[in-house]
Amino acid sequence: MQAQLICFPRVYISPVSVALSTLMSGPNGDDMPSDSQNMFFVMLVVFPMSIVVCVQLALHVFGDLLDSIIVDVASECHRIVRLGLERNLDEEEEELRLSAQARARIADPSNNVEANGKYVVDIFGQTHPPVANEIFDCMNCGRSIMAGRFAPHLEKCMGKGRKARLKATRSSTAAQNRYSRGSPVSTYSPYSSTASINRLSNGNPRVATGECSNGTVEEP
Amino acid sequence: MLKNRRQSVNRPPTPDLTDDQAKVLTLQEVINIKLIESGEKEQLMELVREKLTECGWKDEMENICRAYIKKQGRNNVTLDELVRVITPKGRASIPDPIKAELLQRIRTFLVSAAL
Repeated sequence: MQAQLICFPRVYISPVSVALSTLMSGPNGDDMPSDSQNMFFVMLVVFPMSIVVCVQLALHVFGDLLDSIIVDVASECHRIVRLGLERNLDEEEEELRLSAQARARIADPSNNVEANGKYVVDIFGQTHPPVANEIFDCMNCGRSIMAGRFAPHLEKCMGKGRKARLKATRSSTAAQNRYSRGSPVSTYSPYSSTASINRLSNGNPRVATGECSNGTVEEP
Repeated sequence: MLKNRRQSVNRPPTPDLTDDQAKVLTLQEVINIKLIESGEKEQLMELVREKLTECGWKDEMENICRAYIKKQGRNNVTLDELVRVITPKGRASIPDPIKAELLQRIRTFLVSAAL
């Protein structure tokens, strides 16, 4: 493209000279065009190599912009690292090392994965018992429960099983909801509870007619 | 001591205006001034920065920086070194569409500045 432009310098100059003349005569932003502008236009008109210069200029400007941006990026990175704000600089190596170690431990055949049966060794070398053995208090009944036995305890405590349903009918509100179908008043509850006792006679029959036992429940 | 003073006053002669080389330099300076004054330079910078960040060029450069710093040791690296390391790679790895668009805008500006 440059070669073509060089072959026809006259074609390029003439529109510029026309533009120049119109600019000189027509209204301009400021009354007196600055010296540098004048010099610029004169240069373009007088020198036929102006096209090549134009392309060179564009490249030069582009290079300038790029250099500024590169210096910005470099200085930002330099600042972060020097101030110690780049926390990944050494941590990455540490993590890589640890994960490589863990991988080696897995691949190691001498590891006691199956030999120990109950106790499985994981990649960090820890063993976990098959049943979780932390002890805490149940929020429903208030007893001390082992974590691994908490779910079955909740089943009994809260109402999935028969025994739990038995306990639930003793409280008046529960009786309304579950066993008394169609009987809306709480006065029916003693009757329903005795009826349920007679129906489901197993374990210890409770003689709690008229009593509402909400909190204190005895497990068989 | 007087001799030293005279030497410090002896500057190289100012370039002649009829010299081609000198004219090209002047043109570049003129263009630069025009760019800054019209605010086009700032706009172009912002545009290029945004595009280069989008396409991941900036992150690549930062990775190169960090790798170099890790290799050399954190406190042994100067900003000059970093710039010298990045510049050739940076200039070479600019994506072509961004470069083409930028050059187009600059040429448009040059033409509009000339007219």
